[in-house]
Amino acid sequence: MVNTKWKFIIPLVLLLILGISTTAYAHGAKIDYTVNMTIDIFAQYDTGEPMGGAQVVVYAPDDPSNPWLTGVCDDEGRFSFTPDTSKPGTWSIQVRQSGHGDIVHIPIGEDTAVAGSTGGYTILQIVVMAVCGIWGFVGTALYFSRRRA
Amino acid sequence: MQKRISILAVSVLSLFIIALIGCAGGGAVGALQFYANGEDFVRQGFVSKDGWSINFDHVYITLADITAYQTDPPYDPHSGSNIEGKVEVGLDKVYTVDLAEGGTDASPIRVGEVQNTPAGHYNAISWEMVKASSGPASGYSLVIIGTAEKDGQSIDFNIKVDEEYGYDCGEFVGDERKGIVKEGGAADVEMTFHFDHIFGDAETPMDDELNVGAVGFEPFAGIAEGGKLDVDMAELQAKLSAKDYQMLVDILPTLGHVGEGHCHCH
Repeated sequence: MVNTKWKFIIPLVLLLILGISTTAYAHGAKIDYTVNMTIDIFAQYDTGEPMGGAQVVVYAPDDPSNPWLTGVCDDEGRFSFTPDTSKPGTWSIQVRQSGHGDIVHIPIGEDTAVAGSTGGYTILQIVVMAVCGIWGFVGTALYFSRRRA
Repeated sequence: MQKRISILAVSVLSLFIIALIGCAGGGAVGALQFYANGEDFVRQGFVSKDGWSINFDHVYITLADITAYQTDPPYDPHSGSNIEGKVEVGLDKVYTVDLAEGGTDASPIRVGEVQNTPAGHYNAISWEMVKASSGPASGYSLVIIGTAEKDGQSIDFNIKVDEEYGYDCGEFVGDERKGIVKEGGAADVEMTFHFDHIFGDAETPMDDELNVGAVGFEPFAGIAEGGKLDVDMAELQAKLSAKDYQMLVDILPTLGHVGEGHCHCH
């Protein structure tokens, strides 16, 4: 006579085996997507005249010293580029022509940067966590070293 | 046994806290240098919008409260607001510098340097243009000395400005990015002065905003006597036309820049 418990175990094991995923060949669909952000610059003099042909330099937040991209505005003073969203932070775009120039700073992906970076604990928070951790060890050590009645 | 464990725990915790405090008190530092630049307009001279060839012997400017800032978000001078920096470093003296010093190929004038500056990007700067208390520009914030020539005529001029201005400026705009201090390194920031704003520039289209707002040199030539012009603002107000004097008053605050970058003048 089969042990009662095996009446439950065997079906359970069989279900587990059948539940393991395998490749399903069916008429499904798969969609991959990426989000690309384009920044459009429109540069003009104080008079409103477009800075056609102005020199453009783009600086990424992870390397503020060296240009990430250089280019030229079109005749209408417009310039577009797609920043690398894996580099969150402040992107700086400098436009210059004929002794006139300006620079604009655009924050990109700040939310992503905050979520990804974590950390930033204050000294007080670190001390409190350290105290809790150390006391945990102390308490455990004291428990096991107590004198038994 | 319990006493030993307690003592050990307290010791470990104390060492940990001390280490953290030690780490928090330090930080990467470098040096930040401050420069004043009259550009080639001052060093090499230029032709004014009305055809006068101007060369400068001296351009004395007196600067105070020179401060560089790390700002985040970056300061916008167009906002007209005060600069709020996360880090500030500055020079604590009053400096009279000669922007024409050193000749035609001279470098910008080094005003001062701050050591042990926290590392980071100093993307804003402010300064005051004040009256000098001593020296060659005593009593004036700006003294422009030089010679202007046109059609065989020559005028030696000495124009003295006693107006005081304050500048709050954004990031330097130029061939390279400035103000990025790295650990153990040095960076510079620059106060730039555009004197083509006063006299205009013959190499710029006459309908350009620069020339439209500039006084030119002709009004100054018109009040010179015997080939010489030695005036302060009060004398200019008395001798220039009301329109020309007002143009001068309106244009003087626009001298201050950071490269081609803008400043808010107050």
